[in-house]
Order: sequence, then structure tokens, then C-alpha cells
Amino acid sequence: MSFEIPIGPQHPIHVEPIMLRLKVEGELIVDVDVDVSYLHRGIEKGLEVRPYIQGLYLAERICGICNCAHSLCYCLNVEQLLGKEAPPRARYLRLIVEELSRMHSHLLWLGHYFHTLGFETLFMYFWRDRERVMDMLELITGNRVTTAYNTIGGVRRDLPQEAEAKLRRALDYLEERMKYYEKVVDGEPTILARTQGVGVLKSSEAISLGTVGPHLRASGIRHDVRLDDPYSGHDEVPFNVVTHDGCDCYARVKVRLGEVVESINMIRYALDHLPSGEYRLKIPPLFKAPEGESLARVEAPRGELVHYSISNGGTNPYRYKVRTPTLANIFSVVYMLKSRGDREVYIADVPPILGGIDPCICCTARVLVTDEARRKRRILTLTDLRKYSQGGRRVRG
Amino acid sequence: MKIPGYFIAEALRNLFRKRATILYPYREVDKIHVPEGLRGRIEFDREKCIGCQLCSRVCPAKAIKVVQDERGKRPVFLIYRCIYCGQCAEVCPTKAITLSRFFENVALRKEDLIVR
Amino acid sequence: MIWEILEAAIFPGALFILAVSLFYEWIDRKFYARLQNRVGPHLAGPFGILQPIADLIKLLSKENIVPAAADRFFFTFTPIMAPTLILLACMFLPIAGLSGLISFEGDLIVLIALLSIYTIIVYLAGEGSNNRLASIGATRAALQLIGYEIPLTLALLSAAISAGSLSVAGVLEAQIERGIWFIAGPQVIGFAIFVVAAQAEMERVPFDIPEAEQEIVAGWEVEYTGARLALFRLSKDLELFLLSGLGATVFLGGSAGPVISGLEPLLHAVYFILKSAVVLLIFSIVRAVFARLRIDQVISFSWRWLMPLAIILIILTEVLA
Repeated sequence: MSFEIPIGPQHPIHVEPIMLRLKVEGELIVDVDVDVSYLHRGIEKGLEVRPYIQGLYLAERICGICNCAHSLCYCLNVEQLLGKEAPPRARYLRLIVEELSRMHSHLLWLGHYFHTLGFETLFMYFWRDRERVMDMLELITGNRVTTAYNTIGGVRRDLPQEAEAKLRRALDYLEERMKYYEKVVDGEPTILARTQGVGVLKSSEAISLGTVGPHLRASGIRHDVRLDDPYSGHDEVPFNVVTHDGCDCYARVKVRLGEVVESINMIRYALDHLPSGEYRLKIPPLFKAPEGESLARVEAPRGELVHYSISNGGTNPYRYKVRTPTLANIFSVVYMLKSRGDREVYIADVPPILGGIDPCICCTARVLVTDEARRKRRILTLTDLRKYSQGGRRVRG
Repeated sequence: MKIPGYFIAEALRNLFRKRATILYPYREVDKIHVPEGLRGRIEFDREKCIGCQLCSRVCPAKAIKVVQDERGKRPVFLIYRCIYCGQCAEVCPTKAITLSRFFENVALRKEDLIVR
Repeated sequence: MIWEILEAAIFPGALFILAVSLFYEWIDRKFYARLQNRVGPHLAGPFGILQPIADLIKLLSKENIVPAAADRFFFTFTPIMAPTLILLACMFLPIAGLSGLISFEGDLIVLIALLSIYTIIVYLAGEGSNNRLASIGATRAALQLIGYEIPLTLALLSAAISAGSLSVAGVLEAQIERGIWFIAGPQVIGFAIFVVAAQAEMERVPFDIPEAEQEIVAGWEVEYTGARLALFRLSKDLELFLLSGLGATVFLGGSAGPVISGLEPLLHAVYFILKSAVVLLIFSIVRAVFARLRIDQVISFSWRWLMPLAIILIILTEVLA
């Protein structure tokens, strides 16, 4: 006997609405359907009607956790349109804050991940240690979450005097904690039982499903935008790309733990070699961008983030497009959740597998047309969207 | 090393540590440390303002209204819309706008959340 | 006669047991919070000691919703049965004396049977609410019973074999006679098995599979609200009291200890509470340091490790006895 179980749109493991329709036989999942279109906020359209400087703050709010990556990507994009480049000191400061925000995102993820496994104590400890990172972000940028640090042509404030010593102390503390947590993850059999061999995604499958970020690196692929396309001093600051050949949830935990340590080392190096000089270019707040198009890529904590914009010479972008990492990763969730052959997936494996990609749904929402009168809903196909965007005819649901 | 209950030692050690949480609205507000340069509630100096309206034009949240008073045009800040980005303070040519470290912007009346 | 009724109703009967079990919930929550570097309950009463009572009153005052699809009989019957069964089982524990309010040869078996019936009540509660998540939770609860029930029984029986008596009072008496607690001997293995199986019986981490919040929201109790949920919560507190008390009685010498004549009931109760609080703290630590297992892993764990261990323990007890 098989029946359908809804995971979402409201469910304790997601903060954001996503719908997984699981078809189960007992505890075994035989089929799965995913629906991500509960949260359409029209941000891309919003960016088109705002001056560039206002769009910066809107872009930052695409995602609260990776706000730093979004604002950096936006700035790189607009700087590319303007044909300008941030001064070296700004590039290093951007890197420091970006790595801090990666640490905060990964620690948040790790805590939440153990919460999904029912390991509440580790959840509390990770979030306690994350507070140190949040304090540092607050000290450097002026806010805990939405940092508003990057701006077009540099960063908005210099490193405060007392920040460096405090930052180094926090990094030492976190490095020691991370070493301990690695031991816990390797030493606690219940964690291993729940993560090893769960949600297997082989390297070839990961590539063909187009996954990005730590999720891809946990499948043993050495891919990182910071390495392939250095965008903010990453060609000068040495770092290792953390990969793991496990291809399962355990590998995903290990990769993220390793990346936190890697971020700590990168920040240390950047502090040691911080160039002096200007930290921002003088760019008037309201400006017109020259005609053209540009594309910027950033390695957000969740994976490769792409911002694309077209300018027609006005004060606003003509078109702005954002491709978030979760959208690239969500397909692999559907793949991993289906039992096939000797890979058996149980209901209890849903939280670790879905949580494993670090989903951020509000970045991801797609178009869905709901016809209330006829009680029909359908997802627009690529062809429909193309027609719609060309203004050929109104698409009806 | 795989041992069931690897975590027990660490958990028991934390039993004797100071708790990490801060009791918030009732007690221990003084334990919250606010660093220099936190972007909090906007403060406005009417004396310095020259009425250029730049703050209103850059505000991403449309939280700054421009009104006329006896000395000319001036901004009014709607804190209930403010996103604390500090862009207005950054563009102000005379530094008439500053962001204070006060962050508890909660009020029962809307008028209390307007800075004039 | 009136004295016996008072005993059953107030001390050391129902009222006392309810009060202590709510106090135990507070200990559990506070200790768990301190392990996690948090405050824990701190608003109601000094150090939040009244928080479990406040929670109970709050739940009792909430709206009582019966889903249209639910089976009305099971939906009403099971929340009443759950705390009643556990309260009845608590009466077998020697609290203010060396034998329980109800005591006869073989009451240990009755106690274990009551615990199993409680799981069946849980199953009926889940299936009766006619919800897909509740149904999965109920099935998991019944499946988990297969895993932990036999090791739990064997662990308790090995103590009974060692004591040569099948009653709780007899097991306690044997410990007093020998002047040594059962935990100081081969029964320490039995105590370990008991802690693990009790954790599964109480549906706590790492065996909180039937109500796994992150997977099936609240499992079998997902549809229960208001007073019905309050009764289930109460039965969980009572279960905490019952199992920590049972562990203390069978393995730690329960209410036995030096007494001053005249104050016997009170001193026995104090010893009982102190010893069972120790067992309770062990339960809390176990809850804090594990991740939740999967249902198939629980079954294979208990049949691969707990069962052989329990059988070895029984053989060892027989050889030594």
C-alpha cells in the first residue's frame, strides 16, 4: 500500500515554504514531487525599477544568510558595467567579510543539520559559537545579519582599530572548536549511522544534475568559483578547495567543517597582508551606467551565485537576473530522495538529504499560475515564459 | 575513535560553564554589548541640514519623506520603514544625519517611530 | 479503610506522584538546558520550578479540537487511558516504605505488561486520529516496541532471578538483606540495558522516532490539542517518574536506607526521590548526547546488541545465583 505524505509547505524542518510530496510504501519513499513556488517576491522586477544604489540593498535582501554574497555579486556586476574595479584594500576587506559570512552560514547550517538529526545539544553549541562570528560581523560592518558592507566601488567603512585583535582571538577560538567538532562527527556512532551512505550522489550524477557549491565538492569534484574565477583577491590569498569523496551526507558535513577552517586561514592571511590605501572609489550615489551587459559570479556559502544585468544607459538596470545556488541544487534532492535499486531512502532520511543542500527557498521561487476560479494550477514552461516575456500574449492558467 | 556517547565529556563540562544566553526583556540588558558604529536609530540635526533631499532620493526603503517647514525643505524619517542601511547618513553632504547605537525601536504609537 | 484511601489518593499516592513527576520534568528540562549552555525554564516560580504546571494549565485551557476524520471513541478514550495506566503502574513502586501501595508476588510482570499496554494505547491514539503523519508515528511506536520490550523485560527479570522473587518489594528486600545494591555486580549490565530501553519506552532521543519532530512533525500526537494533549504530556511525565523510580528501586536499592523511627515514611520517600533523581539525570544526559536513530537501525541495534547482552546477563545471573 502506498500513500502520499506532505512534507511542507509548513513543516518543522523548513523555515521557508517548500512542498515535497512523498509517495511512500511503509517507510520507503518510492516517488517524490517538489514544488518551490510558494514564495515569489518579484525582486528581479523590483531591481529594474530602482536606481543602482537602492538596488544594492534590495539585492542584499534576496537572502538573509548569504546577504554578503548577494551584495558583493551585485557590486561586481555594476562595477563591471561601469568599467571600474575596487581598490586592493577594498578587495581584501570584502574577502574578510565574505569569509566571515561564509563561516556564519556554515555554522548555522551545521547547527541546523544536527537539529534535523535530533542532536539538539550540538545544535545549541554550534549556534553559540556562531555568535562569535556574528559579533565580529557586527563590529566590522555595523550590523549582525544584513551587513550592508559592500558598496559600488569598494566597501563602506574601514576596518576599525580594535577589530583586528578581537578578530584574531575569535578565529583562534573557532579553530579550536572546529577541530573538536570534527572529532565529534567522526566519533559519535549515531551521527555516522544517520549520515554515512545516506543521500548518495556520485560525482557523475552530481555533474549531470548541475549541482554547485559544497554539495558538489562533497561529491568529490574540485569546483569553486573562488578558484576558477577569482573575483575579490582570491588570486592573492591562498586557500585549499575542500573536497570529500564520500558523496553522502557525511561528506557534506565534513566539507562544510573543512571550509570553516579554510575561511579562518584565509582571514588570517588577509589580515596579515592587508594592503594600505583607499577602501572605496569616489562614485556619486546616483549615476547612469553605460549601455551594455554584464555577468558576475560569486561563490556564495551555498554555491555558485550568478547575477546578470543589462543596462540601456539609464539610472536603473534594464533587466536583472539572479540565479541562486539552491535552484541549481534542488534537482539533485529529487533525485536523491527516490529509492532506486539498492539505494533505499526512508522517511527519516528526508531531513538529512534535503538539509544537506542547505536549501534557501526564498531565493528559489519560480513562476506558478494559479487559477482560483477553475481551481487549476500549472507551472509555466520555458516556452510559455519566453512568450510572456516577449509580450506575445497573456498566459492564462 | 568511535565511542557511543563521545559527547558526554563535553556536555558535562558545559554544565559548569556560564550560560551563553542572555535573559532579554526583563533582566540583564546591560550584558548586551553594542559595538561602536552599530547602525541603529537615525538622529537628525536640523541646524546642519541644507535641504538638498539627497537622502530621500537614495533611500531604498522610501523611509524618508521631504516636508516644508519655516526654514525650507527638510526630511522626516519614518523609522518604521527604515532598514538601517545608513545610506542617507553616507550621502549627506553636511553630516546632518547620523545613526545612533540605539537599536530597540519598538513603540506602541506610530508617532514614536518618526524622527523629525 | 479511610487511611488506605488517603494513602492512595494523597501520600504516597496519586497526588504525590503527580507533583513529583511534574517536578521531575522541571529537573529534566533544567538539566538538559544547562548541558546545552542555556537557561532552561526560568519564569514561573523560583528558577522556573512551576513551569511544568504552568504548561499543563495552559494546555488545559486551550481549545479542544476533534478532527472531522478522527475516530471519536479512540480520540477521547486514549488520552484518558494513557495517564491512568502509568499512574496505576506507579502504585507498584515502593515509595514511602519498603513495599508499594499494591504489592503481590509477580507484580513486576504486571508492571512490564502495563508499560506494553501503554504503547498499544499510543498506537491506538495515533491510528484513531486518522492522520497520515500520525499513522506513521503510531506504526513506528508499535515497531519500536518489538525492539526494546524484550531486552527491558530480560534486564528486569535478571534482577528478579538474582533476588529470587518476582515482586518489586522482593527485589528491594533482597538488596537490603545482602546490604549491597544490585548495580554493584553483574546487574550493572542490566542497568545499562534498562537505561537504553527506558529511553525507547519514553520516546526520547536517540529513540524519539515515533514523534520525530523533524520528520513527521509530532508523530502519533500530531492531531491532539488542548486537554487531550495535556493528558498525554502528563502521562509522559508520569512515565519519567515511573521509569526512573523503577530503575532506582530495582538497581539502586530504592527507598531503602537508614531510618529514624517515627519518620520512616518521609525518610523512605526522600531516599526514593534522591535515588530516582540520579537515574533521571542519567536519562537526561543520554537525551543530550545522541542523534536520533532511524527505525530500522533501532530494531537491528536492539536485536544485534541489546538482546544478546540481555541473554548473556540472564545466563550470568543463573550461574552466579
